[in-house]
Amino acid sequence: MNPPGADKLRDALSQGHWDHAVALLQQFDPAVAADVMMGLPFEEQRVLFRVMPDDFAAALVSHFPYYHSYVLLHTRSIEKLRAIIDKMQPGERLQFFDELPGEAWQRMMDELSGEYSPAAQREEGSEVAGAISRPMPAEEPIAEAVQVEKSFLQPDGRQIQVIAPTDLSLEANTITALLGPSGSGKSTLLRILTGLIQPTKGIVLWHGRPLHECAPKLAIVFQSFALFPWLTVLDNVETPLLARGMEHFERHHRALRALHAVGLQGFESAYPKELSGGMKQRVGIARALALEPEILFMDEPFSALDVLTAENLRGELMELWLGKKIPTRSIFLVTHNIEEAALLADRILVLGRNPARIRADFRIPLKQPRDRNSAEFLVYVDYIYKLMTQPELEPAPLSAPTRAAKAPYPMLPHARPGGIAGMLELLNDRGGKDDLYHIADELLWEVNDLLPILEGATLLAFARTEKGDVEITEKGREFASADIPTRKALFREAALAHAMLLQQIRNSLASKSDGAMPMEFFRDILDEHFSEEETQRQIETALNWGRYGEICSYDSESDKLFLHRLEHSGDSHENLLHQE
Amino acid sequence: MPPPPKASSGVPPWGVFPAAAPSLLRDLPILIAGFVLFYGLLTFARYGIGPVNTQAEIQLSPSALPKYAFFSLTRIAIAYFLSLGFTLVYGYVAAYNAKAERFMIPLLDILQSIPVLSFLPPVMMAMIGLFPHSQLGAELGCIVLILTGQVWNMTFSFYSSLKSIPREMHEAAEIYRLSWWQRLWQMELPYAAIGLIWNSIMSVAGAWFFLMACEMFVLGNRDLRLPGLGSYLQTAANAGNTRSIAWGLGVMVAIIVLLDQVVWRPIIAWAEKFKFEQVEAAEPPRSPILDLLRRSTIIPLAARVSLRPTREALNLYFARAAALPRGRARRGELTQWTWRVLMLAGLVAAAYAAIRMGQMLVALSSVEVWGIVRGAGATFLRVEVTLVLAGLWTIPVGVFAGLRPRLSALLQPLAQIAASVPATALFPVILLMLVRIGGGMGIGSMVLLLLGTQWYILFNVIAGASAIPTDLKEVCGVFRLGNVERWRKLILPGIFPYLITGFITASGGAWNASIVAEYFHFQGKTLSTVGLGAVISHATDTGNFRVLLAATMGMAAMVATLNRLVWRRLYGLASTKFKLET
Repeated sequence: MNPPGADKLRDALSQGHWDHAVALLQQFDPAVAADVMMGLPFEEQRVLFRVMPDDFAAALVSHFPYYHSYVLLHTRSIEKLRAIIDKMQPGERLQFFDELPGEAWQRMMDELSGEYSPAAQREEGSEVAGAISRPMPAEEPIAEAVQVEKSFLQPDGRQIQVIAPTDLSLEANTITALLGPSGSGKSTLLRILTGLIQPTKGIVLWHGRPLHECAPKLAIVFQSFALFPWLTVLDNVETPLLARGMEHFERHHRALRALHAVGLQGFESAYPKELSGGMKQRVGIARALALEPEILFMDEPFSALDVLTAENLRGELMELWLGKKIPTRSIFLVTHNIEEAALLADRILVLGRNPARIRADFRIPLKQPRDRNSAEFLVYVDYIYKLMTQPELEPAPLSAPTRAAKAPYPMLPHARPGGIAGMLELLNDRGGKDDLYHIADELLWEVNDLLPILEGATLLAFARTEKGDVEITEKGREFASADIPTRKALFREAALAHAMLLQQIRNSLASKSDGAMPMEFFRDILDEHFSEEETQRQIETALNWGRYGEICSYDSESDKLFLHRLEHSGDSHENLLHQE
Repeated sequence: MPPPPKASSGVPPWGVFPAAAPSLLRDLPILIAGFVLFYGLLTFARYGIGPVNTQAEIQLSPSALPKYAFFSLTRIAIAYFLSLGFTLVYGYVAAYNAKAERFMIPLLDILQSIPVLSFLPPVMMAMIGLFPHSQLGAELGCIVLILTGQVWNMTFSFYSSLKSIPREMHEAAEIYRLSWWQRLWQMELPYAAIGLIWNSIMSVAGAWFFLMACEMFVLGNRDLRLPGLGSYLQTAANAGNTRSIAWGLGVMVAIIVLLDQVVWRPIIAWAEKFKFEQVEAAEPPRSPILDLLRRSTIIPLAARVSLRPTREALNLYFARAAALPRGRARRGELTQWTWRVLMLAGLVAAAYAAIRMGQMLVALSSVEVWGIVRGAGATFLRVEVTLVLAGLWTIPVGVFAGLRPRLSALLQPLAQIAASVPATALFPVILLMLVRIGGGMGIGSMVLLLLGTQWYILFNVIAGASAIPTDLKEVCGVFRLGNVERWRKLILPGIFPYLITGFITASGGAWNASIVAEYFHFQGKTLSTVGLGAVISHATDTGNFRVLLAATMGMAAMVATLNRLVWRRLYGLASTKFKLET
C-alpha cells in the first residue's frame, strides 16, 4: 500500500497541489494508483477524480472495487460520467456493469441512454469550492489494537485460535461497524478492545498507551441490555457514576441529562421490567452516555429488539451523533445486520471466521441520513453481501501461509434442511436467480439466518452463488419441485456426496456389523478441529441432516448413532412419521 | 436544560416530623416489638454468663413456656446469622477464586453428607472445654450444631447464584468499574437474594429439628440440658405429662406460624423485586406486614437518617479506594505468599488429622466393625422402605389434590403447618403412644422416619401435579385414555421431576433422622433397634469416639454414594427427558 512516490503524493495533497498530485498518480500503474487512492480520505479522492483527465479516470474505474467506482462516478455530472464510461476498455466496462446489482445497473443504463432525470444530480461546480478547502488532517487514532490475537486452551491442551493477529484502529468522528457472521469472534474482538478480555498476544493502545495503564473513557451497550432489574432506571444510570466516586448531586444531574437525551424523562423511578425492550435499551444507552465516553462500544445493540423498534432507536442514535449532542467521539458497533452497518457506519470492517480476521476494511462516504432505496446505498449493501457470502473473495493479506498449510476440516453450515428447501422453493419461483439481499428482504431474514442456509445449499450443490447473486442448479430445481420422499432421497444423495462429516458418519456406521457407534467417537473427531461449542453445533447439524436424509438416527439415552437401514425405509410411510 | 435533581437528599431529616404525628398509632406495634426484642436479649445475655448448670430444672408449667420459646428462638437466630456470615464469605471465595474453588466445593459436598447429629459430641466437648465455667459452652455447642444443620444448603445456593450471574452483567460491572462493595450490594447480593431467602427458610425449619436433639442430651456421664422448648417437650414426655406436651407443641406451632407470617412472608414479598426476570409477574406475593412497614413513617425516616447516608458514604469510600493506584505487583506477591502459607498449614493439619483418624480406625475391633456393617444394612433398608411407604400414600393423595386447584389451595397451608412441626418434637409423643399400645422400637423408628420425610414428597407431588399443563390433560380426555394409561403416559412422567426432588430431600432427611429415631432415651430407659443411627447414638452416649468416627464416616459415605449413583442420575433424567417446557 505504500509504493515509492506515495509520500510525495501526500505532500502534494497537503499543500493543495492537486495537478501535481494527479501527475504523480499518473506515473503509477493504474492498479497501483487505484490502490494508493483508496488509502486517501474520500474528500481527497473526490477532488482527484474530478481534476484528473477522463481517460485516466476511465482506466482507474476498472481497478477500484465496483461499488467505489460507482460512487465516485456519481460525484461527477452525467455528461462527465458518460464520457468516462465511454473511454473505458470494452472488456473492463462489461465486467464493471456485470458486477452492479440490479437497481444500480438499471440506473446506470438510464443515465447513459439519457433517460435519467438529472434533477437529483448535484451541480458539479459547487463541489469545487468545498473540495479545495483542505479536509481535516487524519488524527491519531483514539484506540488501537496492534497484532492482537486470541487462542483458547482446549481441555486436552490444544490451542484453538479464535482471532488471528489483527490490527485495528478506531478514529475520531467515525462510526466503525464490525460485521461478521455469528460465531465469527466479533464480540470477542470488542471485548479485547475494551479490555474485558486479555488478548493472548498483542496489545491494545489507548491514545498510544497500553490499555491497562490508563483509565480509558469507554462504555458498552450490551445486546441483553445488562441492566440491574432491582434498581430503578435512575439508579441503573447512576451506577457507573457512583463507581467513579461522583457525589450525589453531580450524579443525579448527569443521569437526568442522559435520560433526557434518550427521551426517558419521567421514567426515572420505573424498574426495567416495567419497560419494553426498546425502552430498556434506551436505559442501557443512557447509562453508557452518562459516563461521557470517548468511544461508545455497542455489542449488537439492536438485535434483541423487533424490527420497528430497532429502526426507531437507530434513527435516534444517529440524531444524537450527527447533532453532536453527545460528547462521544467515536462509535464502535458490532453487528451481523448488513443494512444496519451500511446505514450507520462511516467505516465497515468485515470479519471472516475460523479464525477471525479482518477480510475487508472500507469506508462508506455516503451522506447521512442515508436513503436505503438509493442506488448508491444498494451498491454497498450488494457488495457486503458478496463479501460475506463468498469467503474466498479477497482473502485478507494477514492470513499467514502457515495456517493455510493444514487444510481445515470442512464445516457444516448450521442450516436446517427445511430452511434450505424453503429458500430453494422461493428461488425456483422467482426464476432461479436473484440478488441475495432481495431474498433476505423477501423472507425477512437477517444475514445471520441466510448465510448458513445459503452455504448449505451451495455445499449440497443445489445452488451456487456468484457476485452477490444466488442461482439454483439443475439438482436444486429437481429438489425444489419434488415431493417429500423424493426430496429426502435427493437430499441424502447430495449430503453423502458433498458433506464430509456425513460421509464419515455413514462409512463408520456401515463398517460396524450392528450399524451403531457411540456419539463420543464423532465428538472426539470434531474436537480435534473445533471448539467445544462448535463441535456441539456440528453434531446437531449433522443429526438434523442425517435424520432428514434418513442416513442415520440417534438415540439420546444410549448416546449412540445408528445407521438408517434402507431396507426398512421401503415402508416410507412409517419413516415419515418419525421425522419432525 | 436538564431539570434540577430531586430534592430528596436536600431535605433535613426532621423536615418530615409534623406529618409523622397522626401515624404514631400505626407505628406503635413496631416500637413495642423493638423493646420486647431488646428486653429478651438482655435476659439471654444475663443467663448466658451465669454459672454452669448441668442439672437445670425444666419447669413444666405453661407459664414458663414463653421464656423457653424465646431461648430456643434466640439460639436459632444466632445460629442463623452465623450461618449467613459463613455463607457469604465461603460462597464468595469459592465463586471467585478458581484455586480455592477446586477444593472448597468438594469439601462442602462432603460436609453436607455428614449426618449433622454426629457433630454433636465433638462440638459439645470442644465448646464445653473452651468455656468450662459458664453456661456459654453448652450454649455455643448447641448453636454450632444448629449451624452445621443449616449452613450447607445456604452456602451452595449462594455459590451457585454467584456462578450463574449472566456474563454480560459481570461485564457491565467490570467495564463500569464497580468497586467490590458496590458490586456486592448492587449485583451479587440482589442476584442471590431469592435463592438465599428460600434456603434460609428451609434451614431455619430444619433448625427446629436439631434444636430438639441438642437442647437436652447425654454425653458420657454428663447430662446436659439447656432451657428451651426442646428440653421442655422431652421433659414433659419423660414425665408422661400429656397436658404439658400439648402446650409445648401448641406454642411451637404458634411460633412457627408466627415466624412465617411476621418474618418470612414480608421478606418474600419484599424480595420480589430481586427476581431476575424481564417482565413483571402477574400475581406477586403479598404480605400485610410488609405493607404495614412500608406505610409506616418511622422506617423510611430511620432509613433516611441512618441507612442512606451510610450507604452513600460507604459506596463513595470504596469507589474512591478502588480508583486509587496501588502497588499491585507487591500486593499480588504478598497475597500469593499468604495463600501458600495457608495452604501449607491446611495440608499439614489435614495430614495430621488423617493420621490420627487412621490410628483410631485401625484400633476398631471386629465386633465393632460388624456392628457398623450390620447397622448400615439395617438403616439402608429402613430408609428405603420408609421412602416407598411415604411414596405409596403421598403420590395418590398429592396427585388427587394437585389436580384440583381449590382443594390444594385449602390443603396446602394445613399440610404446611403439619410439616412444620419438627419430627424430633413429635418423637417423645409418638413413643409414648407406642409404648402404651406395646409397639417396639423397630416400628417406632420407621414411624419416626416417615414423620420426618413424607412431607417433602407430598409437597413436591402436589406442586408437580398442579403444574401439569391443561392442554395435556385435555389430550388425555380427547383420546379417552383409561386411568392406567393416563397415569402411565401423563401423570407419572409429569410429576417425575418433582417426585425426584422430593425423594432426594426425603432420603437425606431420613438418614439424618435415623440417628435420633433408632435410639432414644425415654422415661429413664434407653430404647434402641439395630441400625447405623443407633450405633452412632450409642457411641455418643458411651463416649466411644472410635466407633462414632467410623460409623459417621460410613454413613457419610453411603449418603454420598447414593447421591452420586442414584439420585443425581435420576435428577439428570428428570431435568432433561421429563422436563415440561412451557
